[in-house]
Amino acid sequence: MGMTRRRFLGCAAGAVTMGLPLDLWRPGRSASAVETSSRCVLLDLKEHCCLGESILGYESALASLGTRLMRAEPRSVPRCAALIVPAALEIPPPAVRAIVTCLEAGASVILESGAGFAAGPDFRAHRAVLRDCLQVHIEAPVHLWAAHSRSRGIPYVDYTWPYPAKVRDFSRVVPLGRQAGETIAWVDGLPVALKRQSGRGTLIFLGSPLGPALWAGDAEARRWLLGLANCSEAGAHERNPTSDS
Amino acid sequence: MKKSIGDNMIPKEWGFARGLELVKQAGFDGIELWLGDVPWFQMGTSDSEVRDLRRKVEDAGLVVSNVSTGLHWASPLSSRDPKVRALAARIVEREIETAVLLGTDAILLVAGLVTEEVPYNEVYQRCLEALRPLGDEAARAGVRIGCENCNAEHRFLMSPREFWQFLNDLNSPAVGIHLDVGNIHDTGFAEQWIEIHGPRITRIHVKDVMKKRGRCGDQSVYTNLFLGDNNWPAIRAAMTKVGYDGWLVAEMEARYGYAPDQQFYDTAQAMDRLISGRL
Repeated sequence: MGMTRRRFLGCAAGAVTMGLPLDLWRPGRSASAVETSSRCVLLDLKEHCCLGESILGYESALASLGTRLMRAEPRSVPRCAALIVPAALEIPPPAVRAIVTCLEAGASVILESGAGFAAGPDFRAHRAVLRDCLQVHIEAPVHLWAAHSRSRGIPYVDYTWPYPAKVRDFSRVVPLGRQAGETIAWVDGLPVALKRQSGRGTLIFLGSPLGPALWAGDAEARRWLLGLANCSEAGAHERNPTSDS
Repeated sequence: MKKSIGDNMIPKEWGFARGLELVKQAGFDGIELWLGDVPWFQMGTSDSEVRDLRRKVEDAGLVVSNVSTGLHWASPLSSRDPKVRALAARIVEREIETAVLLGTDAILLVAGLVTEEVPYNEVYQRCLEALRPLGDEAARAGVRIGCENCNAEHRFLMSPREFWQFLNDLNSPAVGIHLDVGNIHDTGFAEQWIEIHGPRITRIHVKDVMKKRGRCGDQSVYTNLFLGDNNWPAIRAAMTKVGYDGWLVAEMEARYGYAPDQQFYDTAQAMDRLISGRL
C-alpha cells in the first residue's frame, strides 16, 4: 500500500482540521492503535551523534509532516515502524542491538553516517562496526569540494529511490564499497546510499547526512523523506497486513 | 561618546607598550583588543597575561573598549565540521572570559560565513544554534555579543531587516549588532541600519567606504573618515536619534605608506569632529 503525496497532504490537512494525530507511518490505522507503539523512533546517540543538527533536522521535518515520533536512547528503543539513527559516529553495542532488533522485527532503519569529518581511530572504529555488525562496507571519507572544480557546479546528492531527488551535499561523504544491496544515491560518481533487505526489515544507509539539509529547510530533502516514509509504511504493511504494531 | 581604535592598527614593529602610548597621545579614550590578530593577545594567552594587558592599558591612561576577533573567518560558527564549530565556540567563550578580565562588557564576532560550499540556510540555522547558548553564557558574564555586519564579506545578513530578523530569531538580550558603518558598501545606508537596530547596537566601527568602487584585486574600498561616500551628517544624526552614546571604534585599514602613526592622529581628529557634529 503506497501513499501518494496528494493523499498524504489530504490526510495532513484533515488531521490538522480535526485535531487528530496524523499517523504517517501507518495510514488508515486508528488513533487508539497509534498509542500502542511509536511509529518512528529517533535514536539519540548523545555524544556519539556528531551532528546535533541532524537529529534536530529529522525531528523538525517529521514533526512538520505530522509524524508521530519519539526520541529514544539505545537501551530503550520501543517497537516501531521506522528507526532513524542520525549522524552516527561511534555506534555502541546497545545501539547495534537496537538496530538489529528493529530490522528483525520488520522495521525500516535509516542509518546516517556522521563520519564524513572523522579521521584516524574514530573513522576506523565506525567502519569496523558497520562492517562487522551490519555488513555495510564503506570507504574513507571524500571531501567533495577539495577537488571540485567550479565548472562542475554543486555536487548534489542524486537519490534514485524512492524517487529521484537532488539534495545539497554536506561537503564530505562516506562512499560505499562493493556489497549486496541497491545503491540509491550518487554524488560525483560515488555511491553514497544503500538500501538492503535485512531480517524482515529494510536497512537504508546514508553516507551523506540528510539531517542537516532537513534542518536547513531543504524542500527536496523533506520530500525525499516523505517518500521514504510512504515506502516504509507500504513495506511494513505488506510484511504484516493485519497487525497494528 | 568615546573614541577607541583597534590594537591591530599598531604598526607591527612598535609593540604593545609603544602602541598604547601612541593611542593615548593621538587622543583616544580606549583600545579595542583583537584576539588572535596581534602577538600579545592570542588564544593561548593566559589569564594572568591578559590581566597584565589590562594593567598596561590602564597605566597608559586608557580602557579596553571591547574585545574583537578575526579568528572566525578561518573557523566560523557556521562550519559543517563539528570540530571547527567547537573551536569557533571556544573562541567566543575566550572572548567573553577575556572581556571580563579586561573590564569591558562587549565582544565582537563574525557570526557566519556563507560560501559556495556552505549555503545560506544552513549558515543561518547553525549560527542561531551556536549563539543561543553563547548568549546565555555572555549574559551570565555581564557581556554583550555584537555580531558584526560584514555584509558582502561574509555574504550573510546583508540587509538591516534581515539582520533584525536574525536577532529576533535569536531572542537573546545579550546578543546584538556590532555595527560597522563602512561595511555596508553600495547595498544600503549606514544611518538606516542605526535607526533600525538602535538599542541592539553594542559598539560602532567607523571607517569610510568608496561605495561605487567595489573590490578590484587588492584595491581597498575602505578609506579614512570623510574621504569616502558615507553620509556622515546622516550617520551622526541617526546616532542622536536612537540615543547611541557608546564607543566609536576606528577600524581603518593601515594604508599610510609613510608615518603610519599619523593615521592615528588624523583618525582621532576626524572622530572628534564626528562626535561633536561639526560636519
